[in-house]
Amino acid sequence: MTSTSLSIGLITRHVRESHQYRDVLWQLVRQFLTLRYRRTLLGYVWTLVNPLLMMMVTAVVFATLFKLELASYTVFLFAGMIPWNFFSMSVTQSCSSFIQNEGLIKKIYLPKLIFPMSLLLGMLVDSMLSMAVLSLLILPFGGKLSAALLFIPLAYVLLFMFAFGMALLVSVATVFFRDLQYVINVLMQAWFFLTPIMYRHDALTGKVAWLVSLNPMTSFIELFRAPLLHGQLPSLQVVAVAAGVAAASLTFGFWILLAQEKNIVFRL
Amino acid sequence: MSRITVEDLSIRFRIYHDRSPSLKDYVAGLFRPSRPASVSDFWAVNHVSFRVEAGERVGIVGHNGAGKSTLLKALCRIYEPTSGGIQVHGRIAPLLEIGAGFHPEFSGRENIYLNGAILGYGKGQLREIEQEIIAFSELEEFIDTPVKYYSTGMYLRLAFALATAVQPEILILDEMFAGGDANFVRKATTRMHKVIEGANILVVVSHDLALLERICTRVIWMDHGKVKSDGPAEEVLREYREETAPPVALAV
Repeated sequence: MTSTSLSIGLITRHVRESHQYRDVLWQLVRQFLTLRYRRTLLGYVWTLVNPLLMMMVTAVVFATLFKLELASYTVFLFAGMIPWNFFSMSVTQSCSSFIQNEGLIKKIYLPKLIFPMSLLLGMLVDSMLSMAVLSLLILPFGGKLSAALLFIPLAYVLLFMFAFGMALLVSVATVFFRDLQYVINVLMQAWFFLTPIMYRHDALTGKVAWLVSLNPMTSFIELFRAPLLHGQLPSLQVVAVAAGVAAASLTFGFWILLAQEKNIVFRL
Repeated sequence: MSRITVEDLSIRFRIYHDRSPSLKDYVAGLFRPSRPASVSDFWAVNHVSFRVEAGERVGIVGHNGAGKSTLLKALCRIYEPTSGGIQVHGRIAPLLEIGAGFHPEFSGRENIYLNGAILGYGKGQLREIEQEIIAFSELEEFIDTPVKYYSTGMYLRLAFALATAVQPEILILDEMFAGGDANFVRKATTRMHKVIEGANILVVVSHDLALLERICTRVIWMDHGKVKSDGPAEEVLREYREETAPPVALAV
């Protein structure tokens, strides 16, 4: 009873504070978006061009390797890579979000939530712009431009919830176990190969196939791939699984943050 | 009305003797629960209670490591109480470290908005005070230059002008900050005094006893995390002076 009212009190405090500190949040998002390419000639264009070029290279290599038709494989790959990149970058970059802001955290009070949140919001903007470019590329490459594309924003909402929960988990955990910073890249690489991004879900058979089915990212990739590749809405089952996983991840992430928030500053 | 209530406040620091426990140690520790912990506790603030009412000017004195700065940081919510509680009524301005949250790649103007948001100023408010801050810090020519190219003096001037631009109800000061050329120090001191006078409550940590005597009505003497003495400024400062050995002038 008391712990319930206590956590309700904590959550209302968080909601009130996130309103109060929204200016700081926007400033941090702006900082994330504008700082990277300062004094480069093409500036923000790199954010869009770089991942597209990377994916292009992957597409050419694997289309040749698997003897696939390049155009359709490109759309297939991009539709999986863009959500994956957002997720993977969210987890690996928010890992050190408290550690990198140590100077700030130790000198002035700010709700801890805003550090991983600003990173994720910044990356969400990047990702959605990449997605917009992809949607334009779809036409010549044989994808379907359909009303189902309107589902993409909802897919982003679910993916963001999932990624944010995971980001909260790893950002708090890394403060206590610094080794995680180095382990996380390997874990994410393994996770990448267990997610049907470069291959079709049904193409993987054998001992690890069940792992791919259990992998929550499989559903999230499908949320994007169904509208982009097939011009269809994802099946209700896929949406339900993704929503359930997203809600669970977000709840768990918040629970970790609430439980450890006041200890973070002592461990930086 | 502004008020600060500190009730039985304790803040504990864990000191890790060898290093921060890694994931490996943690996992290994799961199987060897009897392994002696290589941590010791340090109570930087130990069962401290006091109350500051509107209008009070409180100075905090004590030796290095007495818990003064930890107490200030707790008032500013940087450290959460390990036990006990703090209640603050009123808008608090933490002037603990000048220029905290400045980003070196951002221009002076961008940092006014970034750091201003961190200090709790609204966007509209910042737009209003932007010109005044630039004028006060004498940075008209360089305001759109990244602050990493600033000299220490320029940096301090901007940070000071921003931090003191809005009159707070409660002012929390750690030592006295000022920087730059002599002319600016004079200007900064005047402004500082104005902000101090305008504040409803002042809590200041300083080793400058003459300064505390001048601006404080009440002094709290901290020793090893506890309140050793708390009362009118003159009395506590006299006690403090008597107990601490008279400073020996260093012959150079």
